[in-house]
Amino acid sequence: MKNAIVLIVLAVVLAGLVALPWVAPYFYIFLGTEVLILGLFAASFNLVFGYSGMLSFGHAAFYGIGAYATALILLHLEWPFLACLVVAMGAGALLALVIGFLSVRLDEVYFAMLTLAFGMMVFAVAHQWRSVTNGSDGIAGFMLGDFAPGIDWSLGDPAVYYHVVLGVVVVAAAVLYLICRSSFGLILRAIRQNPERVSFCGLDVRRYRLAAFTVAGAFAGLSGALMAPFLRVASPEMLHWSMSAEPVLMSILGGTGYFLGPFFGAAVFVLLESWITGFTDAWMLVLGVMLALMVMFFRRGVLGTLLDWVQGNHD
Amino acid sequence: MASTAIRRMAVAALAAAGIVGSMAAQAAEDPIKLGAVYIRSGSASSYGAFAEQGMKLAIEQINDNGGVLGRQLEYEIEDSQGNSGTAIQAMRKLVYQENVDALMGIDSSGVAQGVASTVPQLQTPLIITHAATPDVTGKMCNDYVYRLSVNIVQNMRGAAEIAADSGAKRWTTIGPDYAFGRQSWDFFGQALKEKNPDAELMSETAFPRFGAEEFTPFINSIMDADPDGVLISLWGGDLVNFVRQASDLGFFDQDMEIMFTVGAATEVLDALGEQMPEGVWLGTRYWFDAYDNPTNRDFVAAYKERYDKAPSYNAEGAYAAVYAYKAAMEKAGTTDGPKVAEALSGMSFDSPMGEITFRAGDHQTLVGPTWGKAGPMDDEFGIRSLTDVHVFDGKDVTPAVEETGCSL
Repeated sequence: MKNAIVLIVLAVVLAGLVALPWVAPYFYIFLGTEVLILGLFAASFNLVFGYSGMLSFGHAAFYGIGAYATALILLHLEWPFLACLVVAMGAGALLALVIGFLSVRLDEVYFAMLTLAFGMMVFAVAHQWRSVTNGSDGIAGFMLGDFAPGIDWSLGDPAVYYHVVLGVVVVAAAVLYLICRSSFGLILRAIRQNPERVSFCGLDVRRYRLAAFTVAGAFAGLSGALMAPFLRVASPEMLHWSMSAEPVLMSILGGTGYFLGPFFGAAVFVLLESWITGFTDAWMLVLGVMLALMVMFFRRGVLGTLLDWVQGNHD
Repeated sequence: MASTAIRRMAVAALAAAGIVGSMAAQAAEDPIKLGAVYIRSGSASSYGAFAEQGMKLAIEQINDNGGVLGRQLEYEIEDSQGNSGTAIQAMRKLVYQENVDALMGIDSSGVAQGVASTVPQLQTPLIITHAATPDVTGKMCNDYVYRLSVNIVQNMRGAAEIAADSGAKRWTTIGPDYAFGRQSWDFFGQALKEKNPDAELMSETAFPRFGAEEFTPFINSIMDADPDGVLISLWGGDLVNFVRQASDLGFFDQDMEIMFTVGAATEVLDALGEQMPEGVWLGTRYWFDAYDNPTNRDFVAAYKERYDKAPSYNAEGAYAAVYAYKAAMEKAGTTDGPKVAEALSGMSFDSPMGEITFRAGDHQTLVGPTWGKAGPMDDEFGIRSLTDVHVFDGKDVTPAVEETGCSL
């Protein structure tokens, strides 16, 4: 019965998202695209944070490398977009493997600091390697061609691009969800709760953490690959440590204990930002107050609190 | 499992809330909306503030005189944060959410390079009033992007003339580490070599990051290199910080020619007051005291009365852009984006810099910079005056269309 309700609601939401370009004002296509991409970015981060219990402050490195990989390929090689997505995932995974290999051996604040340091190194490379990355201006002026060889969907049309992003994000989220629900995901949660105990069970905690970190890097790279053509630029800001903070904020905002929490957090974040900046430039101040209240009183995030409240009423 | 269900319902509710967002049809008597994107936060936010003042002044004047096509003007302004991704999203928001009829603004060359190729998609013209990279009216030019202000090539050709006359031989630069700083140095070098083949462009240059705040190591390394002349293309809060730190280090006591490419921005002169050293060369896209025509006299007087300040080039650019749109919309007889964009091409209109024309071949106006030496304090506005003023004619400093790399 409950499963049926879930499936029905999920189908309704998906149908709503698919229909968005026809029923909502044009501008909501852009907001929708941004929510989906940042939601995937935050969800990939939550695999490391919410599921494995590691607070990474360098997640933007993988998002950014995906964006740069896509922008560079579109600019110089003009490959189909699907190939860019694959390369960007690979680039994100590879970078995460290297950074993760050096970081997952440490715990708590040391892990956070180390990922922050690596993130800043990647930023510095993008910022200063002018001949390749065009320095602080980033890479702009690339064109979107075919989606796959022979399949031209005119990706330059925002509504088409929104649908492509929706498709990619739904597939990616489904894969992430299966990963989280698998025995691998279960072990990650066990590690978060008690790494010593998992270790005593004969499992190599470090290897599981590294695997989670690498998978998260791949999906972050994918989200970056979707963002670069949307923004029409890959810029060093996408690699900056402040960008690493965004998935942290979104996950906490939405609720780290739920698979859809980060997506929900991204939606709240983007919609509020668009709405609040409409009448004041002090968006960061409002966000700060909101986050402080969330962490003090609603640890389970907007989504978690909402669910608790609804369930409380029903039970 | 119920938790998942309700979670999803909440998402649906959120999506529905978006759908309800209104999209009222435009009636003919509704105001015409201009959308502006300027830098409104961070170290250069005063540029956005001055631009908004100039824009507001023009809109009030036009509305008092019957508006445009019988309709009043109004505006929406967004913060670019000096970041091209943010600027592109701001422009989409202005066009699709606020339903603006025309776009203007853009402060940074890096931002301009990022946004230029996205404007045709919006089907809405953009008049750039500040960003100076030649690329947006060169290799990246398109039907919807126009620039009203002096670009880097125009300014550097004027600068090279002054540099060549100064007799200084060995030149170096301090500039922000992005398109503007790099291209200023490139085009200055090219123009200087043409005028004075003996001039030497040193390899010891300094490109601090935009918004760096701490310039001491760069100032020291340039003083150690012992040049005859230094071209400084820093702007905004960077320029204010630089001048203060350079004064403390004795930079201005050295025997060298110092040229600030955009030093006569009144935002900066206002912030520095007497701290701007006398005798250095200051360039600007527009100098309020350099144009003796009725439009300029009215503009400066009205600006002074309203804000008690001297208008900066950014204020003038925003002010003139509003009048440019007025002229273009009246010429086109409509506010329809593609038709207004077309009307701007080759159009002449009256601005504080005199009658200026958007060249049809690349959409750049034929305007030239003003250069002068920092002189005694101007008591009226509390900023440095300019002496030994050179106003360059746009026709002399603008490259031919064939040289710009633009084909329209």
